[in-house]
Amino acid sequence: MEFPIFQFPYIGNGMAIALDAVLHVIISHGMAIGAISLIVISEYLGFKKSSQDWENFAKDFLKFTIIITTGIGAITGVGIWLITSALSPRGIGSMLRVFFWPWFIEWLVFTCEVIFILIYYFTWSKWVGEKKEKHVYFGMGYVFFALCSALLITGILGFMLTSDGWPWDKGFWSAFLNPSYLPQLLLRISIAFSLGALFSVAFLLFTRRREDFRKEALHFFGKAAIISFSVAVVFTWWYFSVVPSTFKTHAVFAVLTSRFSQQPEIFWYVNGAGALLLFVFSIVSFRGSTVLSKILIVPAVLVSMLFVSEFERIREFIRGPYLMSGYMYASQVLLSETPFLSKDGMLKNDFWFNHAPDNQEAMVQGAYLFARNCSVCHTIGGINDIAERVKGRTEDGIFVMLGHTHEMVPFMPPFSGTEDERRTLAGFLYGISKGTIKLHDPSRFVPVNGGGTHE
Amino acid sequence: MNRLSDLLISRPIPETLLRGLLFTSFTLHMLFVLLTLGTAILALYYFIDSQYSGRAKELRFDKRILKTFMAHKSLAVVLGVAPLLLIQVGSTIPFFTAVNLFAPYWMLLVVFLIIAFLSFDALGHKMYVHRYIHLALGIIALAFLLTVPGIFAAILTAFENPDKWQAIMSGGYRLTGALAVHWLFRYLHVLGAAVVFGSGFHYFFTAEDETERKALQKWFVAGILLQFILGIMLYGTVPANPGYGILIPLFTGIVAAALLLWMLFSTINTGNPMQIKTLLPVLMLVLVSMLLTRQFLQDRTLLPLQKQLEANTIAYENELKPFERQTLDAYGASLKVVYDSGETIYAKSCAFCHGANGDGKGVEAKGLSIPPEDISAIRTTRGHLYDILKYGVHGSAMPYFTFFDRDKLDSLMDYMDRTYHVLSPPEAVVVSVSKPAMEQANSIYGQTCAGCHGMDGKGSKLSQGFKPQPPDFTVYSLSPKRAFEVISSSYPGTMMPAFGSLPEEVRWGLVKIVNEKRRQ
Repeated sequence: MEFPIFQFPYIGNGMAIALDAVLHVIISHGMAIGAISLIVISEYLGFKKSSQDWENFAKDFLKFTIIITTGIGAITGVGIWLITSALSPRGIGSMLRVFFWPWFIEWLVFTCEVIFILIYYFTWSKWVGEKKEKHVYFGMGYVFFALCSALLITGILGFMLTSDGWPWDKGFWSAFLNPSYLPQLLLRISIAFSLGALFSVAFLLFTRRREDFRKEALHFFGKAAIISFSVAVVFTWWYFSVVPSTFKTHAVFAVLTSRFSQQPEIFWYVNGAGALLLFVFSIVSFRGSTVLSKILIVPAVLVSMLFVSEFERIREFIRGPYLMSGYMYASQVLLSETPFLSKDGMLKNDFWFNHAPDNQEAMVQGAYLFARNCSVCHTIGGINDIAERVKGRTEDGIFVMLGHTHEMVPFMPPFSGTEDERRTLAGFLYGISKGTIKLHDPSRFVPVNGGGTHE
Repeated sequence: MNRLSDLLISRPIPETLLRGLLFTSFTLHMLFVLLTLGTAILALYYFIDSQYSGRAKELRFDKRILKTFMAHKSLAVVLGVAPLLLIQVGSTIPFFTAVNLFAPYWMLLVVFLIIAFLSFDALGHKMYVHRYIHLALGIIALAFLLTVPGIFAAILTAFENPDKWQAIMSGGYRLTGALAVHWLFRYLHVLGAAVVFGSGFHYFFTAEDETERKALQKWFVAGILLQFILGIMLYGTVPANPGYGILIPLFTGIVAAALLLWMLFSTINTGNPMQIKTLLPVLMLVLVSMLLTRQFLQDRTLLPLQKQLEANTIAYENELKPFERQTLDAYGASLKVVYDSGETIYAKSCAFCHGANGDGKGVEAKGLSIPPEDISAIRTTRGHLYDILKYGVHGSAMPYFTFFDRDKLDSLMDYMDRTYHVLSPPEAVVVSVSKPAMEQANSIYGQTCAGCHGMDGKGSKLSQGFKPQPPDFTVYSLSPKRAFEVISSSYPGTMMPAFGSLPEEVRWGLVKIVNEKRRQ
């Protein structure tokens, strides 16, 4: 590995990225695409119907969304990149090279998106009367660029799971237009409109509006919600139908984790209940019931956010052993490196290990091997704690399991390193599970008394 | 191969184009970064000023300044995407390493920016909040915002000094000594530029009367003078012998800045307002030439490093080549394996210890001090088997399998039963045992075996501390042959000793006793 060791302490790398990414997806889909599209439509309705209510609603709602999208949405979006730069440099670095041009075009698209939304926002009170139509066009221009950015980014997301022919031909188009590209793009757009409709209703209900306008708008957004929920269900089905079974079979576990994996029926009940709630809400809203909508909107927004989190969790989890399917394991080790390193040695080839203090110590070696092989998913003492995972096992048992991780647990990558290194890691993990080895710096994997006595 | 190499996927863009795009996009990004920072500093200053000076508060100069914040910051963020992309593609190793060295701060950027942006936007939109709340929120927002260029300056300092990476690491992931001094002046130089650009922008686009323009003009002049001082200090911290490539843009920048000052003083003397048409080109010339100087200074260390990295990459690539074919084949094959049937799960997750035939002789069996059990000899209940899969066997190599959901484990148990009859009732012991031998066996069970296994076969109190624990005979038994084998020659690695010295008939008697426990 080219980079020094770093792990996000306690919550682990995956959760750190997930917390930021889910927030970003909710805002970028739900607000930047969904809500603002509906704002443009609302403005248009106001213009067509000469309704000051629609006009005011759209204007107020835009003020709110633009603060959230430029203040949180954009930053959490760049944040995914910043966080992965620190936690997964080889992964993000390689992806940037495969997808350089879409990423670069994405920059141009983003810039246009920002310019359009700023013009749209700052000209709202100035472009009135005859210029109103032009203003609506600027809104539509923004929505166009927002959809373009979804168009570009989805190729990259789909690639991580369904890399299709890329591992063999290394061709850009087989990477970009991978099998899950189109269904995922459509699913994301339908998620965007679903969330957008929910956010619009929430804003409508919790800001001051005239009662008959509120009913009219509720009816409209309720209709939007019914359509986009239904479409989202169809595209979810389509998406999962193109995901290879070898990955898909872990979807239920991805959601339940080992804590609930023995009650798989929970998965179906909870998802069913969530979907039911959303449909009930959209019908209530469609029928213009202000009171019921007010009761249901908060749970509906929460449930929709949970659905988004669930989808992203499944998508990220089931790619399992791979970061870039067919090229790089989740541990950032290349598929072709594993056989090489098992002959030549992981530590010998690690620049940073060779410059680490006390690298003659078994403990330090074990910590390095853990960092390179396991730390992308497992922490020591935090979420997915490795001490819990190997608790009760014998040292020889750990050694054997390390040699078969990828077979025994299909979403784990294989161990990379020689047999001696595997033994060193087994000893380290055994010590961790017994509490005889402790870390002084969990994010850099420096064992306590790394320079002191041998374990 | 103890050398650093670049990533193995080749760079998708020619070097010259990459550097051209990087410089252009970085300049654009920096322009809006400076405007964002400058706007924030001026807005807070003029808020305080509005509270204490005699000027009418209705003018709300600070509000008008802050109103532009939304646009500046949005453009600054979005324009930063390209330089970040290009620098990560062009200087992958040094950039990610620098990020790694300051990883916690780097990730905190997300939090800091959100706090700063939301606070400033709140102040910019909400017309009246209490002045102390306004002041507190403004100070918090500015403090968070001003850390951002500090973090970037630190990362770029590390980025440009690959020979200092080890020192930064062993120094507790901090910049120390000369690097710290360099960082400080670099950071202040950015803040100074922010004041210049911020005051320049608001002079032309926000100021509405002579008082406001005069005030901003002071900021502008003071900023430029400060930049001269900070620039000299900063230059003192970079390595000597810069060469013409660096000196030319540097002197262009200095001359342009001097020209700017001269233009300013002459307009101040004549009392005319500054002209954007003449001022802007000179200001941009200063920015571009200073950023070019920065770029060339950086190239001095990083271009040779990149060459070295690329040479190492080719060498490493050649070492991996022989393995490529086999790994792709294996990957292709693995895509066809679906862990949804007991048969697959057994073959992949169990067989390496318990053997493809369930005989306990998998490839790894020899390496285990407690040998894996012969699956085909096990006779147990579904509930007990499920417990073993769910919890593993503590003190042995047998792990838990809850990383498969219940449906998968059910399928596995069905498969084990179908193939190895593990859920069938225990087989009857066909060997006949004489009455005296049976009596002897009974007394041995009571005196010896029960000490651990308990009279009822469920395990005694004494055995509760054992790892692994003795099996519960009422729900778990082995085929008579296998049970006889264990009694005769022990269960290696556990507390179970060998009773091979007992007469064979007695041992068969013990097998019968144990077997009987399943029926009770």
